This record gives sequence, structure tokens and C-alpha cells, in this order.
Amino acid sequence: MRLHRDTGLKRSREGAAMGPIRSAYEEDPDMLEIVREFAHELPARIAKLETLVAGCEHAALQTLAHQLKGAGGGYGFGQITEAAALLEQALKSGAAEPQIKDRAAELCAILRAVVVPETR
Amino acid sequence: MNPEVPNPNRVLVIDDSESIHKLVVARLRPEGLEVLGEFDGELGIERAVADQPDLILLDIGLPNVDGFEVCRRLKEHASTRNIPIIFLTGTTDTESKVRGLDLGAVDYVTKPFDQVELRARVRAALRTKRLQDILEQQSFLDGLTGLWNRSYLDRRLESELNVARRYGRPLTLVLADVDHFKRVNDSFGHLFGDIVLQGIAEGLRAYARRSDIVARYGGEEFAVLLTDTNLRAAMFVSERLRSSAENRHFEARSEVVSVTASFGVACSEDLGADLTPEELIRAADVALYASKDAGRNCVHLYRDGDLILTTGDPDALGPEDQEGA
Repeated sequence: MRLHRDTGLKRSREGAAMGPIRSAYEEDPDMLEIVREFAHELPARIAKLETLVAGCEHAALQTLAHQLKGAGGGYGFGQITEAAALLEQALKSGAAEPQIKDRAAELCAILRAVVVPETR
Repeated sequence: MNPEVPNPNRVLVIDDSESIHKLVVARLRPEGLEVLGEFDGELGIERAVADQPDLILLDIGLPNVDGFEVCRRLKEHASTRNIPIIFLTGTTDTESKVRGLDLGAVDYVTKPFDQVELRARVRAALRTKRLQDILEQQSFLDGLTGLWNRSYLDRRLESELNVARRYGRPLTLVLADVDHFKRVNDSFGHLFGDIVLQGIAEGLRAYARRSDIVARYGGEEFAVLLTDTNLRAAMFVSERLRSSAENRHFEARSEVVSVTASFGVACSEDLGADLTPEELIRAADVALYASKDAGRNCVHLYRDGDLILTTGDPDALGPEDQEGA
């Protein structure tokens, strides 16, 4: 993946450019292995998230958002927690479908930008 | 097992997310804790009952039974009531925090959690648990003799009877009463009486087996609960306990005083399947009174309604093979 130093902080719609996201804990020897596992499992979560959005399965989507909110920051991905919290909030408050789709897309974009750390 | 290394504290994590389990394991590793895990509320409760962890980290959003309900049921259950619970959850509203704490949780940590903070909160909860355990244990000890007290014995008797029934194992109760204790007190004073009780207690503890539960049952009465022990085996233990009392000497005003005790023994095997703790105590008590009536300083066994004197007659129970044991 190429580095986009300038766009790292910019929230973007799905498909738009976003800088790579690295775990704040990838230097922590206690954490490296499970951060790698977590990052490896993200494509499966993205697929599930997209399926749930397409099927308007809001309850299951809310559970997934809730889990990502709780786990993301713990694995050193504060942005995942932030985006997942916004999605969970939209679902909880019964926001309109376009807003839910927007927030889900933002979350997916962040998940896609996560870099799997190298083993040391 | 190395006796110098205490068992690590065990923490049970109940959370439906695999990512959280791995994270908690990694973050609690520096504390040297053993981490157990369940992904479902119902299984979490079963695990807590079976494994008796020192602390539970509990999520709220769980499939089937939510964390509040799990907490409520753990606090309702006698065997899990004293295990501290920390909610570890992504649910951050004040109402949920208040509800969780009011249900009996000791703490509430939101996800994503700060690892340093979580460790500190876990340490704090374990510290309080340790003090609580010490207090509870002290409330079950007899102040004068250091033996277990009556309320502990009553509690153990009930649970050991359940175990005995479930696994078809014999449980035997020995009651002992110091002979002419009133006379000792009247002649030498109550302080000397206390020394006698302490000495008898020491003898019982020294001559009981490691698995036996020795208690001061009241005044000058003692009780020893022998798990997984039939009447015949209990007879030998009881004779040993009786002679430990007989052979102990006390000095009062340059006088050497000997004290004896009378014993009554009853075993769950002879008393039917639906035996209650009270019935076992009553049977042992009847045997104890038979020893008093027979001149004291002896052991009687209660068997099938008969009272059998065994002191000086180790064959009183008849040959072993007749019991089919």
C-alpha cells in the first residue's frame, strides 16, 4: 500500500483514498501477535458489514458496530472505535437509511485502510 | 505443586467477542492471572459455579441472557455471591452503569478500555476479595481454640452430606465432650478451664487426619467430621482422639491434672438415604450419651439403632468382611 501522508486524517467515502492506519500497539510485544490476528480478520468483518447494510439488517449491524467500537481502540485503532460508535449511534437513534449507509461506508473505509503489522 | 508459589488468581471473562477475550488475556498477562473464558451468559454462570473464579469480567450485550441478568443470577446463587464482578462493556450510558453497580457489581469499565486502568481496577477488586475471604474465614473460627466454630461445622456438614449422598461415599461425625468439665472449672478456675479446652483442641487437631474437619461445637463439646470414612475407620480415629485427651496433662497450682473426654460416633451409611444433618448429629449425640452413661472416657458407635462400645474392644464391630466393604 502506498503512503498518503497528507490524507491520513481525512474521513472519506468508500473507495476514496485514505492513508494507511497502523495500530498504536504494534511495537508492544504483548500485543503484536493479537493485533496481527485482529487485522487479518478485518476483511471478513468488512464483508459481513456490507452484507448486513445491503440487507438492512439493523439489529445485527448494531451488534457488529458495538463489538468493533469496544475492540478497535483496545487493539490500538482509535479510528475504528470512533467510526463504529457513530454507526452504532445512528442505528440506536433510528437514523434515516442514507445516514446509516454513509456511516457504514466510512467505517468500512477505515477497516480497509488498516495495515497488518509485520512480525518481528 | 510448589508450596512457595501461591495459586494464581483466576479471572473469568464472559464476553461474546473473541477479540475481547484475546485482548484481556494479553492485557492481564503482566498481573500473572489465569484467565478463563465463556462467550455466552448461561455458560458463564455454569462456569462460575463450577470453577469458582476470584473475579468475573462481564459484558452486557450477550446473546440469549444479557449481562445484567447474569449478574443478578450470580448474586442470587450462594456459591457465586461473593465473587466480585466488574462490568467490562461498550455500553456507556449512566443508567446502565447505575443498574450494573446496583445489581452488585464492584466496578464498571467501558470499552475500549485503558489497559493500565483495567489492571489497576482488577487489582483493587482482588484486594478487596482477599480481605473479604479473610473476614469470612475468621467469622468461622473459634476464638479460644482456633478450631472451626459451630456455624462453620453446620455449613460443612450440610455440604459434605450432599457430596456423600451424590457420590455414595460414607460421612462420619464424631462428637466429643470433656468429662467433668464443670468440676475442673470449679476446682481450678475458668482460666484453667480455658487452658484445658485449648489443650484438648490441640490434641484433636494433632491426632485427626489432614482431611478431617475439627470444630469446637459449643462449651466443652467438640465435633470432628470425617469425610469419605466409614464407621470402622472412624472407630480407629476416635480411639486415637480419645487417648490424645487422656494422655494430656495440665498443671494447676503445682498439681498435675488429667482430663478425659467421652465420644459418640455415627456414620451416614447406617442412617438412610434421606439423612438430614440434624439426624446425624442426634445419632452421634445418642452414642456420646451412652459413653457418658458407661462411665466416660470411652467411645460408642451408633449402628442400626445399636450402641456399640469399642474402647478396649477393637473387635466390637465384628469381622470386616461381613460389611461387604
